[in-house]
Amino acid sequence: MHPILGRADRLAAYLAAWAAVCAFVAGIFTRLGLTWTEALVLLVPLFLIYAFVCLSAWYVSRATPLTTTSSLRVLASSILASAFASGLWLALTNAWIALLSMTTAFAPSADRYGQQLPFVFAVGVLLFMLALAGHYVLLAVETAREAERRQLELELLTRDAELRALRAQIDPHFLFNSLNSISALTGSDAPGARRMCLLLGEFLRTTLDVSARQRIPLADELALAERYLNIEQVRFGSRLQIQRRVDEEASSCLVPPLLLQPLVENAVTHGIARVLEGGLIRLDVSRHDGRLAIVVENPCETDAAVQRPGGLGLDNVRRRLDAMFGRDARVDTRVAAGQFHVELSLPASVRTE
Amino acid sequence: MRLRVVIVDDEDLARLVVREYLAGIPDVDVVAECANGFEAVKAVSDLQPDLLILDVQMPKLNGFEVLELVGRDVAVVFVTAFDQYAIRAFEVHAVDYLLKPFSAERLAAAIDRVRERLGRGDPLPVKELAAAGQSGQEPARRILVRDGPRVHVLPVEKIDYIQAQDDYVCFRCDGKEYLKEQTLADLESALDPAKFVRIHRSYVLNLDRLARVETDERENRIAMLADGRRLPISRAGYGRLSALLK
Repeated sequence: MHPILGRADRLAAYLAAWAAVCAFVAGIFTRLGLTWTEALVLLVPLFLIYAFVCLSAWYVSRATPLTTTSSLRVLASSILASAFASGLWLALTNAWIALLSMTTAFAPSADRYGQQLPFVFAVGVLLFMLALAGHYVLLAVETAREAERRQLELELLTRDAELRALRAQIDPHFLFNSLNSISALTGSDAPGARRMCLLLGEFLRTTLDVSARQRIPLADELALAERYLNIEQVRFGSRLQIQRRVDEEASSCLVPPLLLQPLVENAVTHGIARVLEGGLIRLDVSRHDGRLAIVVENPCETDAAVQRPGGLGLDNVRRRLDAMFGRDARVDTRVAAGQFHVELSLPASVRTE
Repeated sequence: MRLRVVIVDDEDLARLVVREYLAGIPDVDVVAECANGFEAVKAVSDLQPDLLILDVQMPKLNGFEVLELVGRDVAVVFVTAFDQYAIRAFEVHAVDYLLKPFSAERLAAAIDRVRERLGRGDPLPVKELAAAGQSGQEPARRILVRDGPRVHVLPVEKIDYIQAQDDYVCFRCDGKEYLKEQTLADLESALDPAKFVRIHRSYVLNLDRLARVETDERENRIAMLADGRRLPISRAGYGRLSALLK
């Protein structure tokens, strides 16, 4: 689509610019002895037509874009195109002069103008080159806008995919097992069943709520993990013990949502659930020298037969931290003495958005 | 016929709901509750129940592994929350299973089908299901051997070699021998082919234990193990061994 022809406001501005140039040239001719009427009758049709001829500069600018064409080729094509356009204009001028010469009123002025043909040609070349320069600018603007639009679209897509991935993270295994716990409690402990329903409802709602946000206070993330652990506590009973240590000043830090929760979930599903006698999950959150450290430790299966702990949740956390902080964030894991240890280290930010 | 049932699940509440449902089904006695696979194997051995209600996801020994160990002695109804892999295996082998959470009616129907099957005398496809449970973590990283009420877990890297003995295979592992009812061919297909090689009709060898190959006066090849043991190598076995060592 032509950037000027395609839009009425741009076409109006373009023609207004041409009208100004035309008026300026007419002014010069009045100094040379022509009346305004003679000058305008002579020039307006020619300039009007040439204004449209110069719109073809768009195709020249598109065919030889500045970014991918050598400057020599750009120069050659500009000169050739403007000489050609101006030659066309010269032919038109000649025809118009011939036509005007047949009238009695304009014949003298037409003859005078006929003596200025080299000047007409030079002006034609100059105007076409100006138009070409203008089109190059327009092209650059359009390209930049297009790039910006694409970037925005990409960001939107990424965020959308991320959101969907986050939602998918609510482990179906966890959901069905929780429902089964509720079903079991209904018979023997109705208030317990209700408590479990409320916990599960709160957990699901909070998960959906925080995953729609960019950054959340660590306190919210801790509360989410707490709800998760409360539910799993009902399932695992005494097999699941929890020890927490949270720095007061750390809990006000802003973190990406669902950063801690997957680690806690791993500690349960890959740790506690796979160890016969269960054990202790240790959660330690601290803030030192502008950095936030989150440590989760849990007992893990030492049998050679069981694959390394961690899983998809940890991969996801690693990728997201990498996308957000690059080298500024670290995820370290190690297994020692039957304990799985994961530590996140990231810049502590408290800025409110 | 009264059905003697053992409930196997690592979660207290999951066992509780099954017990509650079973109380409403006539002619069913719950003779034991087990919180893991080892207890289940022991219960089958000690109490000889008719039926296991068996959770698939459990620590150390999962439901498939329990089935592999005791499946010939007892009927099994599987229970799982969400394990697409297990569900596919049940569907493929037309095995009844319960999805958590399930209703009392659903459990009663499963028990009815168990009674029918016991009446007809057709067993579960134990071998196929056990193989399905295995292939989740191919190749096998441990071998389970049942010894009455006990279960031995043999990490494959600790196995020196396996010898065929009639309907059994004998594992030489950590200086001890363990017998398991299995064919050498079935076992061989479950092991890592880069680590274990069939050197003879009756022997599968852990390559890490091979010190050298010798030839005796009658041109028979002998595998010399690091601990000084000697195992025969057949012509075909030598071919497989050379291909691996190349």
